[in-house]
Amino acid sequence: MYKFFTAMTCTPSGYTKKFLFSMKITALLFFVTLMQASASVYSQQITYQKKNVSLENLFTEIYKQTGYSIVWSPGMVKNSPKIDAKFNNTPLKEVLKQALVNSPLTFTIGNNSVIITRKPNTTATTPTVEAPADDIKVTGTVKDSKGNALPAVNVSVVGNAKQGTVTDSRGNFALTVKDGAALKISIVGYVSQTVKVTAKNSALQVTLLEDVKQVDDIVITAYGKKERKEAIVGSVTTVKPGALKIPASNLTNALAGQVAGVIAYTPSGQPGQDNAKFFIRGVTTFGYKQDPLILIDNVELTASDLARLNVDDIESFSVLKDASATALYGARGGNGVILVKTKEGKAGAAQINFRIENSVSQSVKTLEIADPITYMKLFNEATRTRYPLNPLPYSQNKIINTEQTLAHAPGSNEYVYPAVNWMDMLFKKRTNTQRGNLSIQGGGGVARYYVAGSYSNDNGILRTDIRNNNNNNVNFRNYQLRSNVNINLTDKTELVVRLSGTFNDYNGPLTSDGSLQTQLYNLATHTSPVDFPAYYPADSANIHTQHILFGNSPASAGSNDGASQYVNPYAELLKGHQQYSESRMLAQLELNQNLKFIAPGLNFHGIMSTNRYSFFKSYQSYSPFYYTATNYNQTTNTYQLQWINNLPTGNNVAREYLQYYPQDSNNSTFLYLQGVLDYNHTFGVNHGVSAALIGTRQQTLNSSVNGNNNTTLFTSLPYRNQTLAGRATYSYKSKYYLEFNFGYNGSERFSEQHRLGFFPTIGGSWILSGEKFWGDLYDVFNRFKLRASYGLVGNDAISDRRFFYLSDVNLNGGNPASFGTSNGYTRNGVFINNYENNDVTWETSKQTNLGLEFTFLKKINVIAEVYQNNKYNILQKRASIPTTSGLESDIAANLGKVTSKGIDLSVDGRENIGNDLFIGLRGNLTYSTNKYIQYEEPNYKEGYRQQVGQPLNRQYGYIAERLFVDDKEAANSPTQIFSNNGFAPKGGDIKYRDLNNDGKIDAADQTYIGNPTIPQVVYGFGISATYNNFDLSGFFQGQGGVSFFINPATTAPFIKSPESQYTGNTQLLKAYADDHWSEDNQNLYALYPRLGTNGAIIENNRQNSTWWLRDGSFLRLKSLEFGYTLPKQWAKRILVRNARLYFNGLNLYTWSPFKLWDPELGGNGFSYPIQKVFNIGLNINI
Amino acid sequence: MKLLYIYTFTALTLVLGVSCKKYLDVTPANVGTIDYAFRNRNEAENYLFTCYATLQRLFQVQYDPAFCTSAEIYFPNNLTDNQYIDPVGFNLIRGNQTSSNPGLNFWDGANQGQPMFVAIRRCNTMLENMDKPVDISPEEKKRWIAEVKFLKAYYHFVLFRLYGPIPVTDKNLPINSSIEEVRVKRQPVDTVVNYMVNLLNQAAPDLPLTVSNQVKDLGRITKPIALSVKAQILATAASPLFNGNPDYTDIQNKDGQRLFPNKFEPGKWDRAATAIKEAIDVCEANGNRLHKFIAPANISKLSDSLRTELDIQTAITEKWELNTEIIWALNPYFGAQTNSGPRLTAKAAANPAFQGTFAVPLAEQELFYTHHGVPINEDKTWDFNKRYELRTGDYANRFYLQNGYQTVKAHFNREPRFYADLAFDGSIWFGNGLVNQEALYSVQARGSSSFAGPTDNIRINVTGCWPKKLVNYLTVYDDGYTLEPFRLPVIRLAGLYLLYAEALNEQGKSYNEVVPWLDKVRARAGVPGVVSAWSNYSSNPSKFANQSGLRQIIHQESRIELAFECQPGWDLRRWKELQAVLSEPIKGWNIYEPAASNYYRVKTLAIPVFNVKDYLWPIQDNDLIVNPNLVQNLNW
Repeated sequence: MYKFFTAMTCTPSGYTKKFLFSMKITALLFFVTLMQASASVYSQQITYQKKNVSLENLFTEIYKQTGYSIVWSPGMVKNSPKIDAKFNNTPLKEVLKQALVNSPLTFTIGNNSVIITRKPNTTATTPTVEAPADDIKVTGTVKDSKGNALPAVNVSVVGNAKQGTVTDSRGNFALTVKDGAALKISIVGYVSQTVKVTAKNSALQVTLLEDVKQVDDIVITAYGKKERKEAIVGSVTTVKPGALKIPASNLTNALAGQVAGVIAYTPSGQPGQDNAKFFIRGVTTFGYKQDPLILIDNVELTASDLARLNVDDIESFSVLKDASATALYGARGGNGVILVKTKEGKAGAAQINFRIENSVSQSVKTLEIADPITYMKLFNEATRTRYPLNPLPYSQNKIINTEQTLAHAPGSNEYVYPAVNWMDMLFKKRTNTQRGNLSIQGGGGVARYYVAGSYSNDNGILRTDIRNNNNNNVNFRNYQLRSNVNINLTDKTELVVRLSGTFNDYNGPLTSDGSLQTQLYNLATHTSPVDFPAYYPADSANIHTQHILFGNSPASAGSNDGASQYVNPYAELLKGHQQYSESRMLAQLELNQNLKFIAPGLNFHGIMSTNRYSFFKSYQSYSPFYYTATNYNQTTNTYQLQWINNLPTGNNVAREYLQYYPQDSNNSTFLYLQGVLDYNHTFGVNHGVSAALIGTRQQTLNSSVNGNNNTTLFTSLPYRNQTLAGRATYSYKSKYYLEFNFGYNGSERFSEQHRLGFFPTIGGSWILSGEKFWGDLYDVFNRFKLRASYGLVGNDAISDRRFFYLSDVNLNGGNPASFGTSNGYTRNGVFINNYENNDVTWETSKQTNLGLEFTFLKKINVIAEVYQNNKYNILQKRASIPTTSGLESDIAANLGKVTSKGIDLSVDGRENIGNDLFIGLRGNLTYSTNKYIQYEEPNYKEGYRQQVGQPLNRQYGYIAERLFVDDKEAANSPTQIFSNNGFAPKGGDIKYRDLNNDGKIDAADQTYIGNPTIPQVVYGFGISATYNNFDLSGFFQGQGGVSFFINPATTAPFIKSPESQYTGNTQLLKAYADDHWSEDNQNLYALYPRLGTNGAIIENNRQNSTWWLRDGSFLRLKSLEFGYTLPKQWAKRILVRNARLYFNGLNLYTWSPFKLWDPELGGNGFSYPIQKVFNIGLNINI
Repeated sequence: MKLLYIYTFTALTLVLGVSCKKYLDVTPANVGTIDYAFRNRNEAENYLFTCYATLQRLFQVQYDPAFCTSAEIYFPNNLTDNQYIDPVGFNLIRGNQTSSNPGLNFWDGANQGQPMFVAIRRCNTMLENMDKPVDISPEEKKRWIAEVKFLKAYYHFVLFRLYGPIPVTDKNLPINSSIEEVRVKRQPVDTVVNYMVNLLNQAAPDLPLTVSNQVKDLGRITKPIALSVKAQILATAASPLFNGNPDYTDIQNKDGQRLFPNKFEPGKWDRAATAIKEAIDVCEANGNRLHKFIAPANISKLSDSLRTELDIQTAITEKWELNTEIIWALNPYFGAQTNSGPRLTAKAAANPAFQGTFAVPLAEQELFYTHHGVPINEDKTWDFNKRYELRTGDYANRFYLQNGYQTVKAHFNREPRFYADLAFDGSIWFGNGLVNQEALYSVQARGSSSFAGPTDNIRINVTGCWPKKLVNYLTVYDDGYTLEPFRLPVIRLAGLYLLYAEALNEQGKSYNEVVPWLDKVRARAGVPGVVSAWSNYSSNPSKFANQSGLRQIIHQESRIELAFECQPGWDLRRWKELQAVLSEPIKGWNIYEPAASNYYRVKTLAIPVFNVKDYLWPIQDNDLIVNPNLVQNLNW
């Protein structure tokens, strides 16, 4: 063993990198050649002679000799009889068969592993070797419980290892055996069956039931290692890919409630922008990176890459949650790891899987906005109540005429007196989405392949206008191609080639801030319904005009371009579009080498992976022509159109033709090298040892940061990580497991003394059900396991600033000055972005995890875990440095500490009722809570202002008591003026509590209010049932322990949004119109306080306070699916193995105490709503 | 088998990487650190400009504490949101200053205040590193050091005017200083003043008298600027606010150190007077004199009254290189012309780009003298009580007021500065494209449908009076607008004359010595000298003969002459007169009324709030928590 450890030290550097690289290639080639040459050493034959040997010992020996890992649970072999082993170059199958002949067990030989299972009860009787009989020809078809044909199923003859076959792609097999032989039909993942065949019963129809336990028995852990569930000591949740299949083109939307230990929510429903936010075990730091590491086929990728992944391509999905599980990713694993493995081909004839879906989606909930008449009346009320002497914004004449417009009365004019429903103007009710994917897999002895392609086409719900010359609707298309090929170079050498590409094309409306998140909802809700129409029909003067005559009001303040006063949302919708193309090409080469010739149980896995990402964006738009109606003559009902933006030059020149505006582009490259030496060995009978040594290197190079062209020298330098990680495990009698892991990580971000971080963990587990004392409890809890782990994990992504150890000075920008008669001599000046600080180091978390797993009555599996995660050395801005020091950039230090605790719970069970009905239940619960333990902040007099002791993401604000009764009460209460621009409150404004009783409400009266804005509880539960060819499943998902704040600044009616891009007056929410304080309705607890006409006058009501605090919890019927599988005979007729038609829905119904908009959007109610989806799909296997 | 081990070793090498450390060392050796800012003259000049950067950002009047809080300009606080001006400064006179989140916070650089301590740190960094550039000549190096010392003194002065005693930052604290070291204390007033004066004394000899290459360097600090600022500093220190102010005698550091001088020292005025005289002498020797308008070729005929008006206006708006009066201006052009001018034409009214929101309150309008050069309530010939009665413009006043247009008596028989500095309903506007004195625009401001009247809650002047002084007469605003830029003076010669008169009077010198300095300024403004004006027309004819009477005259003269130039706000503070000025309600005309009889009704717009504590700015509460060694100003 120790030779591996001694070899671990770094050899002196001194070669050029290029040389090293070629060295590596050479070495790799040598290595491969070598492996081929030594392939003859390998054998599947066993030589072992010993009397009265236990099954356990035999298995250990088999493992030693063949490298086949034997998967079994101690409970199985508890009462097995001992055997006399007399094997001399006996094939493995034969050995196993003989060994298990007198036990209630059977086996399946899989890919480098043997799985021991119980024999089905029906065949539990000991088979006896039959007397010679006549040969009969047996044919049969093997299917799963849904009627899908199963290819590549092993059909072996019990007691005769020389005979046997596999099923073809249609699930058929044919075999000639002795009459009365027992055929064993087995495949990994299904309960094996043994069927006795006779001449009469020679056409078999075998239905294999999925073996839940067996599939679950294999857990994928760090670096893709497959481990038996029993041996796991860390906290790993595996999710069946099927559970993530929802009718949406975004995988991350399915995470909430499906994975114990993941807190997830989706803050927007816009196609392409609807990634969920997800955190493993909640947010555990206030530092820079809070989300988990995402690894797809061992390679670090982004949340967007995960979002685009096609569920049908996923073989396994694991979430590594505690220190023991993530330690090997020491540098990056502090926030947990999501590990996804894509499918690889299975040997057999080509299997084609084809799926097509079409969805209809609509907003879960639309905002209710008050009608235009109410809008005007209340705008007048707002003016009157605040500035009684000011003229009213809307005259009675205007109101009456607008009423006429709404009534379509004769003589009314909807252009002079507009009443625009901007929501309807901009958005359709429904839209369509198409998705399709196709995969082919198969292969033979030498190579196996899995090739898949998929396409999805998501449409937004924006309207288009046929008069328009460009398509502005959101359209998001995603294409993927994936090919995984496994090649057996020798019996012991496997080469895996993975090539995949993901390509996204987006088309959508223009956005003013460069984001892709459309602002049209905000525009529609921040534009008055009565000030101008969306567009005018061409009048006689404009009869030949080619452009759309958009409505607007003239002139905006302080600008010199004869501009329009407002943004016309309809013009904004139609005037142009942005497009982006995004692609990621990934090439990955893996080499798996069995190094048995050095030491049995030693394996090598190497990966070289690279991917190239490319992104570019462009805008195309025309400049709308804006008009206003003048000289309206009521008697003739005529008006003239006046062109507003008629200036020939300036910023706001109207243009009919499309102009092109190139936008940011982003390219990045990624290179990853990994080598793993893996060793498994069992010493003697009871002592299992395994060890792994892992070396990785990765590098990312960016052409720009976050798609912005603000690349600096620092951001252009490569991002690098280097890891040396190791694992050592020891197990005793398959009951006690001990595991030690470490990550020794290097990150380029830190100064020399902090560049390397060492993060060890230790864990252990105990299978109580394997103990003798468990006794009869075995019948109730046939599996009962305790596990615990403790250790450190690091995080180097502590800030968006790269090198704290270097001073970062922008020598050409920041603080300019100009001199000269016409200020012609300018120097851009110097700005210090960062002061040199050598002390910044890793953010580290110390994690403790306790787990309990048991199976109850052989049907219900429960995993319950509690954990504590202490993050320390969290980087934060120094709060103790006074401004008198004159620093122009913040100084940061590793000061913060956060502790988080929580529970993950998952339960699943299944039950067959009769022969046809099958019911499954599952549920997950994640509860995560946290608090600041250490945080540098001013030493406030008032204890309630201290951040320490508060949970993360808990908001800070005032405590609202009620509304002021009248102006007098407001004047006599403690003063409440919140800024130099603020006004003293009046009756109907919010009254806050003077927490420190100093007679004034100011910053010192704020405290922490409500729940955190990130859910503390996320849960989900579902039921699925199959009856004959029908299946039905439903899944509910909810969140709790979460608060959000209605944003009073952006929802305040009649007032411009504080975001300056929305120049219009905010619309009036119907709820506010119905329930606000007014002189006539002095409700002290009205939903909305006294109205106002500008931000300053209602500044009192805009403060973050409990008045706007809302409970963000909800429960929703997340999905409901109904499927019908074509009966086999029908399927056969249309030449398919299997066909299933299904209908499903997403986000179908929501229960929530909050009614104004979908609570999952949080305070962000004016953004693209979450979508409710109805979907029809067809899945065909050929 | 041996071979096998070699291969294995090679493979492991492959796995584990060859060079751990090298791989992670990604930063090149020569990335831009602060050392590079001083490698050569070219880079060092860049840093010099950075030292200037904060100074140049002080150009926006709306964020100048003196401009906003002196009641010279009133800014409405009910405008539609998202306008181009944050009214935080203007709102301070409503009593909205707080210590929890101070407005115009120059201590922390927040709420539209610039970060002064950051600016000082940059100056110190420059001084620490000035030895490094190898290719800079000794003369230039001396000049640059002098400029940076000036800037450092001036940045201290900006803080001193606002906060009084401040921590003096002569040397930068290292980044890794202990918490105790960064918890600095405030220094006593005299220490701060002596520190600033000392720096300026060091700087002045090394500064040039004038900028030789004006095209490239105009705006760089000169010796006259340094001496003038020194004069201002000493005058401020000698003034009642800081010189033995009884309100502040109890303010002391936590260790008991007194921060304000506890008794009046007359010698401070002597020191100030000497410094002002030195500045005046150097300026005059350098060619500075009061500005007079030189008519361009397109102006053929110009009446005396309009010529005087243009003398007054162009003393501000003339280009710096042509304006002999300007001692110092900031380089950025004045940025609020669109807030200062009315809409004069039908096209402008249809395309209302000028907000014209800077409103001059009635009290400020009434500060201006009568045409006899005495205050309107002292002029025996001017009917003060009937001033709001209507009177129609006539031919004789046609260069000031629209002939035949109804306005009020208060608009008649006022000094030229009244017409030069203010625009109001019925007043004539020379310029905006028209220079024929017989056919000029006049302001129409009555009611919403008039050109200049309130259009909406964005384009509105709530008193009906605009600070015309802040609009260049060459600026044209019609269907678009063409701004003719100008730089608002920081110090001009007239201001030094008035400051010198003040210092002489405070020294107790006879009016014979004092008045000539006032009369220089009055002569350019087209009003008779002090002695003749008061003797002939004032109801208090001997006012100038005693120190306190002359003090009043000097103070009013300064406020009129320097109106809207940010100076009166500072003067009122150091005189401790701002509280009296702000005890009057802010008034204006009844702007929504179209008929003259209704329009000219005085309407109270706001009642300012100003307490003794408002003479000095509050230090943000949080700063006191972070640094327990700091003490707060009085009553905050």
